Amino acid sequence: MFEPLYKPEEAHGIWVYLEQQAGKLEGVSLELLGKARELADQAKVRLTGALLGHKVGDLAKEAIACGADEVLVADDAVLSQYRTDPYARVVTQMVQDHKPDIFLLGATPDGRDLAGRLGVRLRTGLTADCTAMWLKEGTTLLEAQVTGFGGGITAVIECQYHRPQMATVRPGVFQAAEPDPARKGTVTPVVVKVPQEDQRVQVLERVTREGADITKAKVIIAGGRGIRGDWRLLEELAALLGGEIGATRVAVDEGWVGRDRQIGQTGLVTRPDLAICCGISGAIHFTVGVEKAAMIVSINTDREAEIFEHSDYGVVDDVFQVLPALIEELRKAAQT
Amino acid sequence: MTAKRTNHKGLEIIACIKVVPRPEEVVVDKATATIDRAKARSLINPPDMNLLEVALELKDRHGGQVTLLSMGPPLFEPYMRIALAMGADRAILLSDRAFGGADTLATSYTLAEGIRKIGRYDLILCGEESSDGATAQVPPGIAEWLDICQVTYAGEVKIVDGKLRAEREVRGGHEVLLVPMPAVVSIRVGINEPRFIDYDRKLWAEKEAPVTVWTARDLGVDEEKIGLKGSATTVSGLGQARAVERRREILSGSPQEQAHVIFEQIRPFLRKGA
Amino acid sequence: MARTQEPIVLDDAAWERVVRVTNGAAAPCYQCGVCTATCPWGLVKDETVSIRKLIGEAQLGSEGWEEALWLCTTCKLCEDRCPRGVPISEVILALRNLAWKDRREPPHYRSLLWGEYWDGNPWGRPPSQRTAWAAGLELPEFSAADHELLYYVGCTASYDRRMQRLARAIVSLLRGAGVSFGTLGESEPCCGDAVRSVGHREYAQEIAARTAQVFQEAGVGTVITTSPHCFDMFARQYPRYSESFRPLHYTQCLWELIEGGRLRLDQPVNMRVTYHDPCYLGRHHQIYEEPRQILASIPGIELVEMEHNREWALCCGAGGGRMWTETAAGERFSDIRAKEAGETGAEAIVTACSFCISCLEDSVKTTGLEGMRVLDVSEVAALALKPKPAKARAKTARS
Repeated sequence: MFEPLYKPEEAHGIWVYLEQQAGKLEGVSLELLGKARELADQAKVRLTGALLGHKVGDLAKEAIACGADEVLVADDAVLSQYRTDPYARVVTQMVQDHKPDIFLLGATPDGRDLAGRLGVRLRTGLTADCTAMWLKEGTTLLEAQVTGFGGGITAVIECQYHRPQMATVRPGVFQAAEPDPARKGTVTPVVVKVPQEDQRVQVLERVTREGADITKAKVIIAGGRGIRGDWRLLEELAALLGGEIGATRVAVDEGWVGRDRQIGQTGLVTRPDLAICCGISGAIHFTVGVEKAAMIVSINTDREAEIFEHSDYGVVDDVFQVLPALIEELRKAAQT
Repeated sequence: MTAKRTNHKGLEIIACIKVVPRPEEVVVDKATATIDRAKARSLINPPDMNLLEVALELKDRHGGQVTLLSMGPPLFEPYMRIALAMGADRAILLSDRAFGGADTLATSYTLAEGIRKIGRYDLILCGEESSDGATAQVPPGIAEWLDICQVTYAGEVKIVDGKLRAEREVRGGHEVLLVPMPAVVSIRVGINEPRFIDYDRKLWAEKEAPVTVWTARDLGVDEEKIGLKGSATTVSGLGQARAVERRREILSGSPQEQAHVIFEQIRPFLRKGA
Repeated sequence: MARTQEPIVLDDAAWERVVRVTNGAAAPCYQCGVCTATCPWGLVKDETVSIRKLIGEAQLGSEGWEEALWLCTTCKLCEDRCPRGVPISEVILALRNLAWKDRREPPHYRSLLWGEYWDGNPWGRPPSQRTAWAAGLELPEFSAADHELLYYVGCTASYDRRMQRLARAIVSLLRGAGVSFGTLGESEPCCGDAVRSVGHREYAQEIAARTAQVFQEAGVGTVITTSPHCFDMFARQYPRYSESFRPLHYTQCLWELIEGGRLRLDQPVNMRVTYHDPCYLGRHHQIYEEPRQILASIPGIELVEMEHNREWALCCGAGGGRMWTETAAGERFSDIRAKEAGETGAEAIVTACSFCISCLEDSVKTTGLEGMRVLDVSEVAALALKPKPAKARAKTARS
């Protein structure tokens, strides 16, 4: 096997990568703090956040309020925007200096970009997109559950001899803890040394906008190929139910909706109380993103559509006939 | 040792592809707790079809050649020939029992060694992830082993003044990077329509095109760094995913009648005064 | 209106290429423009689509003006009226072939071909689900020794939930006539029409050769199809590998059975219907009367003709590969056709092609033609087969 950087006996503590963007901590990082706090309490170890960026001091306090015992802060202009090389360099130094046992990152595009690089640089095991995790009884060995083959297969992964045990988790899988501003923790600045060769990539532009966070929505009205780009009825329905619009990858590829609303394997995992799927065939890459819903209602003209296997109530009919009738009833009821 | 950009005419592109089983046709063999792909049909990993189109468009524009690289069993060969028929120039299959059971650490290492043996490369293209393991970790892994730049979740890719200009997805938006080559780029699924087989190439691709097989020995790799031995993660349990038990009740009646049944079920979610 | 355009450079090599792929078929055109005036696209677009220009440019060696090239549904309305007998739809398909070679094809057709490649059918469904429609019917596997004919179901009738009803209707009709027949079950290969219709001649020929070999090895003689498109492939594109290879559309077979007294459609079906001629039965193969005769032989059926019938029937819009692409609302031939059917006072449009049914059902819904049903000849005939319970009409309204 590859020589581990340090042995399990030398490793201690659980780390969470605190991803930030435009002066805000990513939701998934707070969710990871929530889960990591549980694990840290169970194993009676420290929970540390690793925060990189420029002028991000305030975010450290937020991380402590959400469960971190300590935040290591690398604050430098060279880190003002995410780039693989400077970030990998700084995090590697942090890991070598502190030797964490477990290191969790959010599975955002940047998170996976960084984790993938670090997994090799640190010569360690990296488990992607965990859907559940726990510690093996009496140890700090992380057992991480993942799905494969579009979600049809589950596996439990371990990283026995290498440290840190790395894992990524998608937004919406875990829940953030309620922030407690009274929580105490330490903020430790870290010296940032990024050599010139790590600055070989230039960011020409970076454009982000605060999209919807459908991972928190209680009601999701999702549309797919079958609605042929006509979202009006779905939007009306969402408004009546206080819900968010979700979409399949097809709908996003077609340009009908933004990626922030994409549900599924290469999109978001949601856990609404109610999901209404309209014109969606229900291929497994989609259903893995909605199967945690308490109730699923689906409308599709194709009786054979896979979505009906994943639904509580199936309507084999035209979305454009059924939704108006449903909206009509809801409107009437709303007025009484 | 830092890799240098090739200077000869055109681009040297390495396209890393994988053959995967149809996800819905794979089952878990309960007796052995292993994955049974025997009855599953195979195809080229869908994101890899998108990467092939990117590779071939770059070759169309800049000249050069596209070398396919895969790590897998002999059954991969006919699929590599399909990619050759689409327009790739040569294929290299890393095939050896010793490569089996590899996690992404060992896989990226093996592929990187294959790339080192190929020698010349300006761009290494990968699909964003594969539909079986779906880790998306191999492309950054390869970049790290070769100590070159990486761009993950790329969409539009252009060569501008000898550098790579890539649009990349980030959470909530996108960014545009200018990256020195050689570099590893992982391509987002669905960003283009992969061209169909070129029938003028088909016969050559099926019968004459060179598909070179390299074993662990050919690569000269340390046995401890490949396959199961080179993996840092292990699978300790495998199961068929059990979906939440759903009612699966199919309604009947007119659209109005069905809408009414649904209304009764979702009524509690109605916002008053909406 | 003066229009400037890029001068076309007359290039010997390009000209030869076009002549070769079209077999010189564009040569007789003398630019009269009847084709342009006839083309149904003129009914749905602000201007006519100049087929004349397309053919004229082909004569000069130009490879095909993009828009018209891919709009054509190969309905043959223009072709039947061309005074010079130019096989216009064949010229267009040949020019599409060149487009594939030059990679000028509409990108979304690539996934149609890849779907065909990976799944063996244009619907993206696995072979293992091909016989789901026949659950409980206990259909025998075709055997040349035991069976009079092969029933070739086709991809659409096998996989499309709506069209599976046609296959089941045809089975009950064949059984009703006491015909011994079999199918190829899960091994039934695709006929290749979807690929041919978008112009990829080579791949379509490959599929056809493979399917022909399956037929040959199974000793297939008479084969009947659900779809006029599969029938067209077998009749025109497939080799006559044996003397006894005899492809038929199921309507031809049914009429033979009725004429021969083997099939009796004597249960009354009280419906006023109009018949829509599918292009690939009508103008392509002159099969106009058999479907009508089948309907006329059913007691209670009142057949009224639309103004444009037989050689004048308006295409539904799905031919020429357009079944596999989106046609913008407001540009659908079938909307006009549905309206025309409504004007006859018929309760149902009866036709004999899955693609036509698909388009017409869609149009009936979107143009709000209340109560108009769209049925296949096989569905209507099957109603005339079995004894009907008292509430038959209400039941059939939902079936």
